[in-house]
This record gives sequence, C-alpha cells and structure tokens, in this order.
Amino acid sequence: MADDRRVFRERQFRQYKSDVKKRGKPFHPYAMLHDTIMSLVTVGVIIALAVVWKWTTPGDHTGIVMHDGVASTEGTSGWLGKLTDDPADPGTISFTPRPDWYFYFLFYLLRIFKWPESVILGTIGIPTICVLLLIALPFLDTRAERRPLRRPVAMVTGVLVIFSMGIMTYRGATANESLGSELIGKVPEWAKQQGFANNPKAVAGAKLFAVAGCMNCHVYLGNGASNLGGPELTAEGAQHRGILFQVEHLKCPSCVTKGSAMPAFASQGQANLTLMAEFLEASQGPK
Amino acid sequence: MANQRSKYEHLMYPIDWIEERSGLVGGIKYFLFRKVPSDINWFQTLGSATLTAFLVQATTGVMLAMYYKPDAKSAYPSIVHITNDLFAGWLVRGMHRWGASVFIILMFMHMGRVFLFGAYKYPRELTWIIGVILVALGLAEGFTGYLLPWDQTAYWATTVGISINGTAPFLGPFIAQFLQGGEFINNDTLSRFYAIHMLLLPAMIAGLIALHLYLVIRLGVTSPPWSKDAAGSGPLDDESEEKHG
Repeated sequence: MADDRRVFRERQFRQYKSDVKKRGKPFHPYAMLHDTIMSLVTVGVIIALAVVWKWTTPGDHTGIVMHDGVASTEGTSGWLGKLTDDPADPGTISFTPRPDWYFYFLFYLLRIFKWPESVILGTIGIPTICVLLLIALPFLDTRAERRPLRRPVAMVTGVLVIFSMGIMTYRGATANESLGSELIGKVPEWAKQQGFANNPKAVAGAKLFAVAGCMNCHVYLGNGASNLGGPELTAEGAQHRGILFQVEHLKCPSCVTKGSAMPAFASQGQANLTLMAEFLEASQGPK
Repeated sequence: MANQRSKYEHLMYPIDWIEERSGLVGGIKYFLFRKVPSDINWFQTLGSATLTAFLVQATTGVMLAMYYKPDAKSAYPSIVHITNDLFAGWLVRGMHRWGASVFIILMFMHMGRVFLFGAYKYPRELTWIIGVILVALGLAEGFTGYLLPWDQTAYWATTVGISINGTAPFLGPFIAQFLQGGEFINNDTLSRFYAIHMLLLPAMIAGLIALHLYLVIRLGVTSPPWSKDAAGSGPLDDESEEKHG
C-alpha cells in the first residue's frame, strides 16, 4: 500500500515535470516581471516606513529634546514610535520591557501560562513544539492532495493558528502599561491599606518598588500589569519567606526559584534590596 | 545577420572566457529560461519579495556597520550620530529597522502561501524544512538586532528575552550564559549580539537561502492547486507506452 503510494507520487511528479515542459512558459520574462514588480513594491514600502518613522517625529525630527539642558527622548514618539529611546541604564527600569512587535505573541504566551508551574510551557514548551510540528508537517501530511477544500483538517488548523497568533499579537500590543512616575504617588495609599505606614523602611522600599519597573510584570493592589506573567505581590508577605530570602531572590531570581525568567536586580545594591524586601514582607494583603 | 554578429563578437569574449571555465553563463540561462507552470500567480512572488527584503537588510546592514560602534559606551551615541548627523543616515537606519519587520511579515506570508498551496508535499519537503529554519533564524536576527541601539527598550527587552532563554530545561542556563557573556547584560553581551547578528546569522541565512533556491529551481514551482490545468494534476501518461513509442 505504502509502496503503491510512493510509486504513484513519483509518477505524478514526473507528470508534473513533463506538463511543465510541454505547457509551461519561461521564467523570464513572465514570472520575472511579476517578481520584479513585487520586489519594487517591497523596497517602496520599506522606504515609506523609514520616511514616516523619521518625519512624523515631533519637533525637529531628531527624536531628542532638551529638558533643562538634559537630552531626553520624552514625548518624541511619531506614528511609528521613537527614533531611539533613552540610553540603556541598568539601574532603573521605569518603563515596560517590550520586544519588537513580532515577538508580542510569544510574550503573550507568558500571560496565559502562569508563574511558576507552567511558565516553561509558555516560554520554551509551546514555541519548541510549534517549530517541531512545522518541521514535521510534510511527514505528518503525506497525502498528495493539494486542493484546499479537500484538506479540511489542514485548512482549519492553519486558520486557527493564524487567528490565534493575530489575537495574541494584538493583545500583546494593547496590554496595560504603567509608569513608575504615576505609581510612586500611590505609595501612601498602599501603606494605609497594607498597614505599614509606620514602617519607614517598608515605605522607602515601596517607592523603589514603584520606580524600579517591578510593576511591568507584577500586580500590586490592582496596579501594574501581569503582561509577562509575574505573580501578584499584594499578599507576598503573607507567605513569610523572610527578608533574607527576598534579598537573595531579588539578586538572582533564577538561583532561588528554578526556571524563573525574572531579571536579576543585584545592580540595585544591598541597601535598596533590603528596603524592597522589607516592603514585600510588610505586604500581607489589605486588612 | 552574419555581419552584425562579427561586429559585436568581441564584446562576448569576456563572457565566453567565463563560460568556458565555469559554465556559469549556461547556469544563469537555465535559471532564466527554465519553464514554469503557465498558471502561476501573484501569491508566488512572495518568496522573491522575501529575498529582496533580505538583500535590503544585508545592504543597509553593511552601511550601518561602517558607523556603528558595538561597545556599551559608544553604541548609543553612534546610533544617534547615524540617525541625526550622517547624510541619509536616518534613511539607512530606518530601512534596516523597518525592513526587519517587512522581512518577517513576508517570511510568514510566503510560508502561509506554501501551506495553502500544499507545496510542502512530496518532493518539496526539504525545501519546506529549510524554510522553517530560515524563519527561526530570521526571528533570531530580530532578537539580536533589537539590543544593538543600546537604549532602555533594547536593554530591558533583551534582559527579559535572555531570562526566558534561561528557563529552557537542560540547555537553557548555558544558552543564557553564552548569550549574556556574564551575570548581567554588559559590554560583552553587546559585542556578542553584534557578532551573532552581523556575521553568524546572516552567513547561515545566506547559505540556506542558496540551498532553498537550488531546491526551488531543481524541483520546480507548483501550479495553484485549484487551477483547471494544474501541472501534474491530470491523468498520468502511460509511461510504458512512452518508453516504447
């Protein structure tokens, strides 16, 4: 049976070759014309994107503005975003770590698979399985049939994959962001709700927590975003893990919690990390 | 006719010289004038458009490499210099920045077309597999290139990206360590990403594209499957008769 199929498809391919030889047309100029037009359109679109990117940048289109003698990129987003962001600063993350748009669907997977049990599924598992399935596709689908209407399983699967990637890209693109400058104003309210207003170390830690970018991944008292699937920290202190654990974890999350994708915050320094640990331990959930 | 030929014959000498030694001219002629199915359509230009986008990336990339400085102190200033001081620097950088997106969109559209046409089936399985690897390498180009401007977005997106790599079982921590070249993203990370982005991955992509194209030419392109006279879809010729007759 399998042999019959092999003989058939080999004959069918020979038939294809002879049909093309008899009835085909030369690549040049027929296909060449279409290919050339399409390539010119491609280059045109790329140039157009570059032009729009540059010339919709507000001000003098350099993407850099001076605030009190200090160069900044604040408010320089054109239609396609900033020309450059502020220079890299390992000390602060007062903004959302966000990949280029074509990775949004991958980042969104992190939100679906929650910390920490199933996160490996989202980070490595699903993408690896998808790539392996794609490579295996010609061996899973060995029928000679090529007409879409006669391949219902393949077509439905294909549409579902495109649809879900589109949705995840869109959700990743529109996910909530929160800025440290807005969050720091909420610290007194947090202190009141959590009852650590009399603990100056915890209050100082809360301020660091608000500006260090923690809330790009973690939710705290309804603020922040779980875009990247970090756990909610509102009642972190209720687990009584202790200051020592918190500091070690902040220094190197993956050393303490195996498989954690959280970046290391050792560059904040021991003193700041201790304050943040005080804050986390003081967060027992609203009373 | 004979006169005309002798008049221009000397122009052909260099071409004849190359052809005699390499056979390249014959190869190019074969490539240009090989037969393709008469019913191929616009969707089948997506592959060559992807190649064009790659060539745009390669060209603008070389130009950027002439001015970009891959170390933590001067990377950001060199990007600002390219964008704002050099003649048409913004255009070259903009084309590279947005060409990346266009390249990736075209790769996925091309892949979708091949899937719709069932063109990954026998005997084109290897062409498909190389294509899947090219998509993965293309995404890796996007990931490594994103760090190079060394701005906040680049730095922190890459921090999280490397952490995600680190979660992979067994190899993960080693990959993360290798990519990062240390405990945190630092100067070495940047030059490592730069080397991978502009030497390793482009070389691999170019090589695989050549192989991909070789297979496309060797195996031919498919007719649209719904076409009434799709090549190879009709009743098979009786081969035994052909051989004897």
